Amino acid sequence: MDIKQEYLSAAYPGGAKKNIGSNIRAVFANPLAQIALVGVVLALVQFLALGGMISSAFAYALGNTLIYAIVAIGFCLLLGYSGLASLGTAGFIGLGSYVAFYLIEGMGAPYYVALLVTLAVSITIGVIVGFISLRIEGIYLAIMTLALAEIIRSLLMVLKATIKININNIVLFGVNVNEKAVYLLITATFVILMVLTSNLIRSPVGRAMLAMKDSTSASQAMGISLMKYRLLAFVISTVYAAMGGLLYMMYVRNMTTATSTLLTLSTSLNILGAVIIGGAKSLWGTTLGTFIIYGLQSMFLSKIRFFVDHPAFITMITGLLIILVVMFFPGGFAQMLAAFRGWLRRKRIERRIRAYVDDRN
Amino acid sequence: MSMTGTERRLLKKARRLKTEIEMLTASRDLRIERETEKTAARRAEQLRQEGLRAAEESFESLGADEIRRAITEKRLREENERYAALRKEILLCGYLLSDEENEALASAHESHLERIREKTTAELSSLSNPSAGKKLELPAVAEEGAAPDTTKLRERCDRKIENAKERLRNVERRLESSGASNRQAELEEGIILRIQDLKMYFGGVKAVDGLSFDVHEGEIFGLIGPNGAGKTTVFNCITQFYKPTGGTLLFRGRENEVVDLTKEKVHDVILHGIVRTFQNVEVVPELTVLENLLIAGHRQYSSGIAASALHLPKLRREEDVIRYKAEKVLSFMGLSAYAGAYAFGLPYGILKKIEIARTLMCSPRLIILDEPAAGLNDTETADLARLIRRIREEYSCTILLVEHDMGLVMDVCDNICAISFGKLLAFGTPEKIQTNRDVQQAYLGVDEEGESDGTA
Repeated sequence: MDIKQEYLSAAYPGGAKKNIGSNIRAVFANPLAQIALVGVVLALVQFLALGGMISSAFAYALGNTLIYAIVAIGFCLLLGYSGLASLGTAGFIGLGSYVAFYLIEGMGAPYYVALLVTLAVSITIGVIVGFISLRIEGIYLAIMTLALAEIIRSLLMVLKATIKININNIVLFGVNVNEKAVYLLITATFVILMVLTSNLIRSPVGRAMLAMKDSTSASQAMGISLMKYRLLAFVISTVYAAMGGLLYMMYVRNMTTATSTLLTLSTSLNILGAVIIGGAKSLWGTTLGTFIIYGLQSMFLSKIRFFVDHPAFITMITGLLIILVVMFFPGGFAQMLAAFRGWLRRKRIERRIRAYVDDRN
Repeated sequence: MSMTGTERRLLKKARRLKTEIEMLTASRDLRIERETEKTAARRAEQLRQEGLRAAEESFESLGADEIRRAITEKRLREENERYAALRKEILLCGYLLSDEENEALASAHESHLERIREKTTAELSSLSNPSAGKKLELPAVAEEGAAPDTTKLRERCDRKIENAKERLRNVERRLESSGASNRQAELEEGIILRIQDLKMYFGGVKAVDGLSFDVHEGEIFGLIGPNGAGKTTVFNCITQFYKPTGGTLLFRGRENEVVDLTKEKVHDVILHGIVRTFQNVEVVPELTVLENLLIAGHRQYSSGIAASALHLPKLRREEDVIRYKAEKVLSFMGLSAYAGAYAFGLPYGILKKIEIARTLMCSPRLIILDEPAAGLNDTETADLARLIRRIREEYSCTILLVEHDMGLVMDVCDNICAISFGKLLAFGTPEKIQTNRDVQQAYLGVDEEGESDGTA
């Protein structure tokens, strides 16, 4: 550097140093930007499938997995933030799908009407379960919700054993839509709910829920109403589950209650598993967990001959994965990622120390 | 005594308005502070530019020594900064240095500094500047213009505050006309909390059995008694964690009204300014220290769930203000350094302080401390006594504490109530309690006349 310039900067230090790299990093650190980015990528998959660059079966499976991801992020708020256990997810999904059937197929209602009714029904159920959660806790609450889900399932079976929606009946903003448009609708729903949830957990509501989970007495002393936030947590998770059911019905379009695994305990357990191996406090971890539990099978393993011949091995692999993750990283993928980052950071520090010591010439 | 619906509504409104005024005031302070900082930064940058220009013009006439000194200093400073940054990074990622590594780092740093000195001397040996030239005069910092003109901002904020105050006065006037006089009849002037014939039975166990005492406004009140005497139960009754079996709990609220605490919900008690800490610290480990304080400000947000889900500007403004308040409290408690640290794994003493800090977030009127000195060493206990007094001065509130450390109780308390098996044993000033025979017996066992000189 020129001596004059260096002297000037020595006598008058300071001045803004703009670093483009750090600006870009700051943008990507923003949760909303991350969600938007993922949303764009997900939507792009459908367009690539339309262009024939990705198999449409893959895109279909992705849409299916996203539906479960929607359910799972609602559950994440319930389990990871509010510390409430529920095994009734399948029942709440079933509610959404039956509302979709009766409104869309039976009455020819457009999507937004079906959505509003789903919201109303699921909020009601959520409030009821929330009230019950004030009286019983922990494992008893889980069993209670399980019983509730079974009641709902039996009720739905009695109502109508097989439900089927004609694709021509699905109307979105006055236009008849096909499966591909429903995929985009699923992506949009996922993005919107992700944004809302991520906002909630970074707001007083999220903090209140965490406080309630860690110490009911401290949170009450600080003015947090247990009733309000338990109800809220249950309402959110039921609403998300019911919306998942609604989208499922529009996407898959038929279901036989007696044989469908969607309404059984296995779905509730799968969602629970997805949230736990993903990291109950991390929305991205939960999404990843859903992809491991549901997506791995439908998007990748189903292409391999061996697994097509022996589907039981798929379940075994997922089971093994859950065991390993929970054994070594009880905080799920989120914890795994944090540990990996810590390891990287230490490696980098070691390198920097060596560089500093060696830099003698 | 029973309040009418209108009265209750008015009281609620008055309380809300008071919170609003407080938020507006904090918001005004915050905005003025930010404005001042911004102006100061702008001013500093301006001065820097001016200085740069002046120095550029007069560079030729500067002395070579001066140039050498400044450049060497700068290079050394940069090297020191690099070293400090590396050290900090090492500390932050929890990397444990071995002794050799530590030494190698330190000696490398020394040799770097030495090399920079040599290199700079060599590089600057052939300066054309006069060897005894003049020194650079730094332009003086002009006083005017350093402080920003915040009168307009202040006026605007004050107008809002005045507006809210006017509304509050209106509400208060209406309260008065609705029969305020008989509302105050039940508590004499100066009494903030009256416990009368309090009973709390758990099945056959009479944890508190007919206890009565008054707490005066602004005093530090101690509740003592042997283990299992029912002290914490009394606290739990006051804060409505337990619904008392019988008796009355009267509290003088923010509007000078008399609140029947037994009719309040447990999470609404804080609205009257009654806040507490817990015997076994209840801090949320998954949140940072600052966020733990924000939880205590939970009821000061007026934006609801929808605003939270959408992160509306209103919520962000409130969040800003409450964060600012929390930072103020943290610096009052000397906890600023921990603001961003997760509460998980912090030392016990710090956690206890966080709990106390939490009580200061909501303009407290009665702070209830449940064994604040438990697990603290002697110096920490002495600090605690000072802190308790400082809190009373700063926040002009009443403090009620349960404590086993008799040194602390006798030191800070104005009045002490000693209980045993849920019944009143003695009441009075520390001196009176110390010499009370019943108290001595309860603590030291029966009989042994005259041997003990008081307390444990």
